[in-house]
Amino acid sequence: MSDVILGFCCNYTSSVDVDTLKKAGLVPEGLRIKRLPCTGKLEINTLLDAFEQGAEAVFVAGCQIDKCHNLSGSQRAAKRVGYAKKILDELGIDPARLEMFFASRGETEPIVEAARHMSSVLSDAESIHR
Amino acid sequence: MIIAERKPMNEILDMISGINRLLVLGCRGCVAVCSAGGDKEVDIIASALRLGRKKAGQQIEIDTDTLVRQCDPEYLEPLKERGKQFDAVLSTACGVGVNFIADRCPGVRVLPALNTTFYGANLSSGEWIELCAGCGSCVLHLTGGLCPVARCAKRLSNGPCGGSVGGRCEIDPNVPCVWHRIHDRLMEQKQDKLLKDITPIRDWTTAGHGGPRRRIREDLLP
Amino acid sequence: MIAGSNLEQVLRSGNFAVTGELGPPKSGDFEVVRKKARILKGHVDAVNITDCQTAIVRMSSFAAGLLALSEGVEPVMQMTCRDRNRIGIQADILGASALGIKNLLCLTGDHQKFGNHPQAKGVFDMDSIQLLGMVKQMRDEKRFQCGEEIKSNEPELFLGAAANPFADPFEYRPIRLGKKVAAGANFIQTQIIYNVEKFAKFMEMVRDLGLHEKVFILAGVTPPKSLGMARYMKRFVPGLDVTDEVIDRLSDAKDQREEGINICVDIVNRVKEIEGVSGVHIMAIEWEEAVPEIVKRAGLGPRPEPQGIEPRLVSTAAIEEAVERARHEVRDEIEKELKKARSEAEASRGLLIKEKEKASSEIAGLRKELEEMKDSAARHAAEVKRLTAELEETKEKLQQAGPLEAAVGEAVGRPASTSHTGFDQGTMTEGISSGKLSPREQEALSSLNLGLKALQRVLGLNEDQFEALRRFLEAEFLLQLGQVAQPVTTAAVTPPPVEVPVAEASEEAREAETRETAVRRQKEVVNLVAKANVLLHKNKVEEALNAFKEALEIAPEDEKALEGLNKAKALLAEKEAGPAEAKEEAIPPAEGLPPCPEEFTPEEWSRKWVVRYVAMGNVRLMKGDNDGAIEAFKKALELDPGDEKAKEGLERAKTGKGIHVPEVSAEKAAAEVKEPAPEEKKEAPPTEVKVVEEKAPEVEEAAPKEEKKEAEEAPRPAPRAKLSGAPEHEGVGSLEVPGLEKETRSLAERAGSISEDLYKEPCSGSIKDVIIGDGEKAIAVGGETTLPFYLFEGDMPNPPRVAFEVLDSRPEEWPDVLTRYFDDCLDDPVKWARKCVDEFNAKAVCLSLISTDPNGADAPASDAAKIAKEVVEGVDVPVILWGCGNADKDTETLREVTSLIGNKKVCVGPLSDANYRTLGATAMAFQLPVVASTPIDVNLAKQLNILLENLGVSLNHILMDPSIGAVGYGLEYTYSVMERIRLAALTQQDEKLSAPIVANLGREVWKAKECRLPSDVLLGDQERRGVIMEAVTASTLLLAGGEIMIMRHPKAVALTEALIEGLM
Repeated sequence: MSDVILGFCCNYTSSVDVDTLKKAGLVPEGLRIKRLPCTGKLEINTLLDAFEQGAEAVFVAGCQIDKCHNLSGSQRAAKRVGYAKKILDELGIDPARLEMFFASRGETEPIVEAARHMSSVLSDAESIHR
Repeated sequence: MIIAERKPMNEILDMISGINRLLVLGCRGCVAVCSAGGDKEVDIIASALRLGRKKAGQQIEIDTDTLVRQCDPEYLEPLKERGKQFDAVLSTACGVGVNFIADRCPGVRVLPALNTTFYGANLSSGEWIELCAGCGSCVLHLTGGLCPVARCAKRLSNGPCGGSVGGRCEIDPNVPCVWHRIHDRLMEQKQDKLLKDITPIRDWTTAGHGGPRRRIREDLLP
Repeated sequence: MIAGSNLEQVLRSGNFAVTGELGPPKSGDFEVVRKKARILKGHVDAVNITDCQTAIVRMSSFAAGLLALSEGVEPVMQMTCRDRNRIGIQADILGASALGIKNLLCLTGDHQKFGNHPQAKGVFDMDSIQLLGMVKQMRDEKRFQCGEEIKSNEPELFLGAAANPFADPFEYRPIRLGKKVAAGANFIQTQIIYNVEKFAKFMEMVRDLGLHEKVFILAGVTPPKSLGMARYMKRFVPGLDVTDEVIDRLSDAKDQREEGINICVDIVNRVKEIEGVSGVHIMAIEWEEAVPEIVKRAGLGPRPEPQGIEPRLVSTAAIEEAVERARHEVRDEIEKELKKARSEAEASRGLLIKEKEKASSEIAGLRKELEEMKDSAARHAAEVKRLTAELEETKEKLQQAGPLEAAVGEAVGRPASTSHTGFDQGTMTEGISSGKLSPREQEALSSLNLGLKALQRVLGLNEDQFEALRRFLEAEFLLQLGQVAQPVTTAAVTPPPVEVPVAEASEEAREAETRETAVRRQKEVVNLVAKANVLLHKNKVEEALNAFKEALEIAPEDEKALEGLNKAKALLAEKEAGPAEAKEEAIPPAEGLPPCPEEFTPEEWSRKWVVRYVAMGNVRLMKGDNDGAIEAFKKALELDPGDEKAKEGLERAKTGKGIHVPEVSAEKAAAEVKEPAPEEKKEAPPTEVKVVEEKAPEVEEAAPKEEKKEAEEAPRPAPRAKLSGAPEHEGVGSLEVPGLEKETRSLAERAGSISEDLYKEPCSGSIKDVIIGDGEKAIAVGGETTLPFYLFEGDMPNPPRVAFEVLDSRPEEWPDVLTRYFDDCLDDPVKWARKCVDEFNAKAVCLSLISTDPNGADAPASDAAKIAKEVVEGVDVPVILWGCGNADKDTETLREVTSLIGNKKVCVGPLSDANYRTLGATAMAFQLPVVASTPIDVNLAKQLNILLENLGVSLNHILMDPSIGAVGYGLEYTYSVMERIRLAALTQQDEKLSAPIVANLGREVWKAKECRLPSDVLLGDQERRGVIMEAVTASTLLLAGGEIMIMRHPKAVALTEALIEGLM
């Protein structure tokens, strides 16, 4: 089974279907995307739960930091990602498995980049789900 | 307000090793206000512990709940029975809450999720500062309302030490010298006589050095 | 006066005070404190002892303060509130006060964060101001902080506090100083001052508050040790204002330390001028040496004589020092006295010399008188002569006249006889009294005697001295007379031929002649004795001795001479006993040679000394001591003026030409000269120099020769070439080993009357009999009822046996010294086994099936079995088949073997816990003896035996292999295990351990590196080495209880068998 990478994406980032991307070979097979109205809604425990429920890597893709549709939603998300990374560290999980990305409105490329980046992080890492 | 902060997750994980059913119990009092032990933090802690156990390849069943306060007996009442359904209760209250559960709920194993740090105020979102030491013998009327017991590294009573430079404390340039501020305030308030008076040696029994403290108000006793 | 400390006294007397600082060590080393205290002592009035400054743990200020005090340095004990609460502080204050500490500097203390224990709990029960108040209350109100009364001996302390003029808020600093004064500070020491202007401003404010009149303020100064230190202080020490000027001065300075001191001195000079400054506090952090210099340059020295320093505790070192000081004082006192006495003695000696001079001048006067007397005697003699002539003339005239002749003759003789009687009445000696002297001479003598008597009185001489002097003078007198007055005497003695008839005349003449010789001899003796006495007086004992001897040769019974001789001998003995050591180096005066030993004639003795002097001269010449050489050669020439060597040496010495003699030989020669062995001296030709020169190279040559010989003999490592070439193979020679001499008498016989039960301790158990092999050559082992070879205690029916080891394939690692015996058969195990039997008389053979080892050749079991079969069938002696040690493979191989050999009673092994089941069953089926092998452990051995027995293998078919270590490779473990097995079997009847033991030792011995290293000088012959190792291992294991030894080298086997034979 390929690694599960879960991406939390803001409603305003690209809405291209993941399966299309997979078919094009642009993103890893294990990628799942969850769409949110705003990444500012994302709670820390949601991020942790994602790992707990099977993700090997998680990323959050929000609006450009100064162009958030909800003004500071992606900033908040970034701070929470930071805190969650700290908790991951405390749990002995590589914090690099969780990243925040900022994507221009509607562009697909940053999502592909984010997914590829997370995939590369996992390339030689052990699974956290034994 | 009592300020507390979460213990590192690995410490909590060590604490709960061998425990299969855990109740993470929050408090909506001070610790919720200082974002250490309210509903949100309870969820985060629960999620993190599940993840931590999963990573270790171990199962754990975690319930969460939050009480109005853990420092009043009536809120603890249901826990007396409910707590027994768990191998342990991880309290995210201050030390008072943990103690109180231990006192009131026999048969319930209670563990602290937080370090209780000080009596402080919220400077801004996410920042708290110690302003009182709870020493039991307030001298703030002599010091312009600024506490040298809580805020001076050496708990000086008679003015700034030789390490006070530029209004900063010698132990850390980020810490203001409270005595410098007391000086300025008292001068401002034309209370400079207070600066010349010698404050005698304190009685530290009120600060807990005389043993655990207790307060009774007769008229309110049941 | 509050505490009466030196600091207080200096300050109160209006002197500008100087205090220093002493940082206790981060150890318990009191020497550090002493050393620092000594540097500061005398240059400061008191020294601050810091209290874990900057919160770094150090020796406590209390203890270090006491150490300083015991060095005579007054401490200012610093006390912080960081580390102790009010209980601890007050306790320490009482202690400090009790032990003589009189100054206390009250501080809050640096925060623990700055120290080496930042995690410590800071106490801070109070602050410095409260501390001052507390101590003041203790001192002045005699109350503890809690209010309780201090019943007696309240602490009397001069209280100090710190002030930092450079900390903020600046305007509050003087006020806070005021608080400290109000709380009880008697003196203030400020923070380090570099910014003098700011300090001056501070002082102005202090003066405005009138504080300078209430408290002594000491300005703190520190010499910056380097630019780095100054920069550090400026940047990192809070409340320290290092000015740019200081930084600039240091960075411009060539010698930063020097400049640092100058900066400090300048600051001292400036703060001294500020009103209200009562002194300086010099803090030379870890640079105590700077303090004396600063004090000196700032004109602050010398410090007032310290007062009030009374250490209650004194370090042992200080006590020792005090004792030493006292000792010195006493010594000086004694020396002074001694000097006085000496000078007095000197004075009296001077007086004595003066007296002596006086006496000698008197003697000179008397001598002169004597001379005069002699003159007058001579004159008298001339008168006599003249009168005689006149008489002759008259006689002639009277002859002509006739009868008067007789009358005249009578007239001539009488006075002589008269004078004779006169002499007898005097004190003259016999010698002289019996002499014939003219009346005038006698007259002179008697007056001489009288003079001498007078002299004796004047000089206070005792009888002996007087006697000596008198004899000397007499002798001299007589000697002179002998020349001058001889004719007269002769004339007087010779009787007038006219008077006696011719016949009687000849008789009388002879008589006269004998009498004359007797007299002469007597005179000689007297002279000699007199001379000897004089010599004795001059302390020339040896010469005196010779003179006495000479005298005694002439007159053996002369009492005076005898007495003198004895005296001289006694003196000589005394003399020799005395300065013996001094003799060696000093050259004895030529004429004063040591007394001639009995065995030498004086000539020989003198000759020896000539030789010795010459040698000595040469040695000195060699050493470059020309003067000494000249002296020596001269002495030699004095003794023998004709000695050529001495002349030559003298010449060389005078011309400054040294002689070239090698160092070694010169020393040797010197040694010879110093210890003259009489025989050597006799042999030595008179030309000693030559001997020295010639002998030296000889000695030199001889020594290396000897060394060389030693080198050849000693087993020292030979040169590389020799090593690689390896010496000729010496080998073990014949394989024959002569039998050991057997003890023929039984122990009972040898023990004599000693009761048997005193040495016998018979065992109650016995060892199993195991038979291996078939037919005639089958051997039985075991069966003992006693410890090995304890034949006096029990039976040993079967001697231990040796089995030759044969390999089933060509050995790869056997050294040549081993294979050479089997060269012709190494590839043919059958031939090899036969050779062992036929040539080396093997009683048994052990075939090692090494080829089967899976880690080695891994030959198939069937091949090995075939070989084994051939061997077993090829020899008639018992065969032990020893597997490769791999349990599985061995099982396979040995099973194969047993199926091939059928009923032949070979012994198979090794059986281990891994394969005992299968192999045990196989062996059991064919009733074969087995070797049960365990790794050096009694319990494992027993366990395996039990397992085998349980399987059905009879104990009579088990041999135990306890695992063998060769000598040097664990033999002791094997020995111990075997011994315990045997003791358990014999003394505790442990049947399970009563199997005979087989020791497969050859393989262990021959794999040791000692058996593989080639022959060399150090290790000796390789073969002998190996043989000895194998034989020693075997003999040891025999003594531990081994029954079968599996060995390799024929010689080792022969040795072992000889040992067995000898012991049985």
